[in-house]
Amino acid sequence: MVPDRSSLSRREYVRALVATGGAGALSACLDAVDDGEATAAPSGTDDPDSLPDRQHAWNDTLSSDDDGNVLLPEHHALVALSLRAEPNEEDRDTVEAAFRTIERAYEWSNEGLVFTVGYTPAYFARYDGSLPDSVDLPEPVALTDREDPAFDEYDALLHLASDRPEVVLEAEEALFGDRETVNGVDLEADLSGVFDRREDHRRTGFVGDGLPARHTDLPDVPESIHEEAPFFMGFRSGFRESQATEDRVTISEGPFSGGTTQQLSSMDLQLEVWFEQDNHYQRVSKLFSPEHAEEELVGAFGERLETASGLTDDRIEATAADARERGVVGHAQKAARARENGDPLLLRRDFNTVDGDRPGLHFLSLQRGIDEFVRVREAMTGADLDVPSANNGLLHYIFVNRRGNYLLPPREHRALPPADPGSGA
Amino acid sequence: MQDRDTIDRRTFTRRTAAVTGAIALAGCVGGEEPGDGDETGDGDGNGDDDVAAVPELPEIEDPPDAVYVPTHREAMRMLEPIDAGEFRLAPMLSYPHPFWVIAGGGSAEEEVERIDPDDGRGVHMMFTLWDAETGIVLPVDEGTQITIYRDDEQVGSPRSPWAMISQEMGFHFGDNVSLPEDGTYTVEVTITPVSTTKTGDLEGRLEERQTATFEFVYDDEFRHEVVGGVEYLDEDDWGRRGALGPMDHGHGEGGHAHGEEHGDGHHDDGHQHGDGDGHHDDGHQHGDEHRDDGGHDDHDHHHVPYSELPDVDEYPGTVLVDPDADERPAETMDLPRSGDGAFLATLTEPGFRLADGDERYLLVSPRTPYNRVPLADMSLSVTVERDGETVAEPSLEQTLDSELDLHYGTSVADVQPGDSVTITVESPPQVARHRGYETAFLEMPPVELTIPEES
Repeated sequence: MVPDRSSLSRREYVRALVATGGAGALSACLDAVDDGEATAAPSGTDDPDSLPDRQHAWNDTLSSDDDGNVLLPEHHALVALSLRAEPNEEDRDTVEAAFRTIERAYEWSNEGLVFTVGYTPAYFARYDGSLPDSVDLPEPVALTDREDPAFDEYDALLHLASDRPEVVLEAEEALFGDRETVNGVDLEADLSGVFDRREDHRRTGFVGDGLPARHTDLPDVPESIHEEAPFFMGFRSGFRESQATEDRVTISEGPFSGGTTQQLSSMDLQLEVWFEQDNHYQRVSKLFSPEHAEEELVGAFGERLETASGLTDDRIEATAADARERGVVGHAQKAARARENGDPLLLRRDFNTVDGDRPGLHFLSLQRGIDEFVRVREAMTGADLDVPSANNGLLHYIFVNRRGNYLLPPREHRALPPADPGSGA
Repeated sequence: MQDRDTIDRRTFTRRTAAVTGAIALAGCVGGEEPGDGDETGDGDGNGDDDVAAVPELPEIEDPPDAVYVPTHREAMRMLEPIDAGEFRLAPMLSYPHPFWVIAGGGSAEEEVERIDPDDGRGVHMMFTLWDAETGIVLPVDEGTQITIYRDDEQVGSPRSPWAMISQEMGFHFGDNVSLPEDGTYTVEVTITPVSTTKTGDLEGRLEERQTATFEFVYDDEFRHEVVGGVEYLDEDDWGRRGALGPMDHGHGEGGHAHGEEHGDGHHDDGHQHGDGDGHHDDGHQHGDEHRDDGGHDDHDHHHVPYSELPDVDEYPGTVLVDPDADERPAETMDLPRSGDGAFLATLTEPGFRLADGDERYLLVSPRTPYNRVPLADMSLSVTVERDGETVAEPSLEQTLDSELDLHYGTSVADVQPGDSVTITVESPPQVARHRGYETAFLEMPPVELTIPEES
């Protein structure tokens, strides 16, 4: 059902359309953004070799803020896919042709479209051979006593992202054959003969300055969220120095060299308690570190932090002492304990959501192997710390309800790869 | 000041008719008439369709930095206790009310925040959680969660209720929860494993995540019950050092005589433990009964334990003493205090079961001074000195024992009579507080004790 425009601002309306999905939503979205200044999305390329070998090579083509931090595209859709039948070579050709059509249609950028396709352990289980040792892709599991997530057990996940909401919708519709052309390019192939879309697991979201504050019409999104905050928790995130590089998360050996692993945890956020019970000082203590609060390092929504979250080695090392001596530890401080020689292990591409009309987070991270995510999550959980749950970073406010692990193969193997492409299976 | 706009004039009038004139007057001091600006409507004469969501709650100006008597006893609806694996829990519902959350040492003003309820309707949702086998209330924050449903539709985001202490409820979990409208709600509670160090009969137990559900009806009848059931205290007692005794958990909302467990009614509703006159002289007997009852409370299905620690003489070993004190403390009221928390410290004989090998065990059990509620989720360390030289500086580990309940302890090798022991509070109890506890247990200076010669 297409949302009622009359009750929503334009930005809320297009966000709601992305969440809704489908041809009707796309049509309405095109109408909504076509306010006289309609410009077509920039076109893509006929030369697939001009595109990066890595599906996850986004950073060079995305925009950056004044501090040089990469800005993720504003609108996201995660489209869950199940194979209709066991895949064959013809299916592989179809899938590759469909993706190449999209790449011809849209510039590989936040103005056009960036996307990845990832495959689950359940997908690879159909092959006789196992994944090579160079790929660490276990089945997802619960990682703390507090969570009991459902798992992504379908075959694949498309991640579509653009600053233009209509592009996210149009690309999805094009890939599923509901259009003849896409951004002026004739559709050669689509995915609908190969995959079924799993509507029950379709997820959407948004990230960017001021976007969270536009959802205060929902009962569980408090009015008090800072109007410039890019994330629901009310602060900037994704600082350059807190992010792994694309090189760091890339698989460096074997047939999937140039690929990466993707971890996706979807969770509810308890914003009413966060914003209306805790005060700003407590929020800064719990999100960054108690010293950030004491020394007022953060500002109203993180604007004082420029390219880094202010985590010196001392503040990271102080985590256990802060737990005992201050009774509270910061989320960022804890998680940073998993850094290797000072380098973060995860490249976060997470974004907020109001799927189900409740505030949430799709925590999407890229890392060389899932074991690295698990290490960071354990550091972030902080079960070793002598601190009660309510003051242990963000544990009191996040409720993980789904998790999936994926392999994002290099572009050359992105279409229905066998478990070990090198073996000729 | 508490916002008066949410109280209905007739409800207020009915309440004030039932309490003393002084308090009724006090309720009207400081501004407009109660009920002014109240949109829930005066004068329709119907009586049941505009019940106040919260009662009138006067403020106490400048309360002491200590445990103090609040203005009223709360009323609440007790629901039947429910089982969840090895756990048992008793849900309780009241009107939304103020409480205080803490994140930090309490030295910066910002580390403590008062929570005021929304002006909309809702409940203060609480539950006491205990080990079904031993009856020990589990007084630590391990991240329990609740999700609320109405007609199978989730209402709001999930939440982790705060670990809290209150004079009447002891240690419990709770939060103010807004409800969109009247109706029947289902609450799913997820109980997480107890990761705190467990000893005695608790060792190896309480390690499975469990869920349980309960239902409640939110309507005029509920509001009548919990708002109308508030009992205001004599205004002369407001803000006086002391505490309300535990509410009568076993028998629904207040007003009943005490039942078999409590025998002599020393916890009679309305009784306060005061500085001078509040002697809790039968406390240790109560403690014995409490413990004995725990494992087999089938005779009273509704019995809800109160998180009361054993009294001084029930602990093994030698009680450490204030070097300036005249007498050995006989009960909790006599113990040395820090931030108004009472500190019991004992040193056991060598080879005590919680000590390593033939070492001794140094046990520190901080508690509220009147009701002996454990002060949980603190960080404590001790410095042991002999002839001016430091001989040991261990950190204490928060431990939950089936006999000694919540305490902080460590095994010590070389400690002997005559040594001085300084307990340092690295961080005060990181638990939320109901009124009357919010100004205590924050600034907690070191406690200096000595180990007396064994008698």
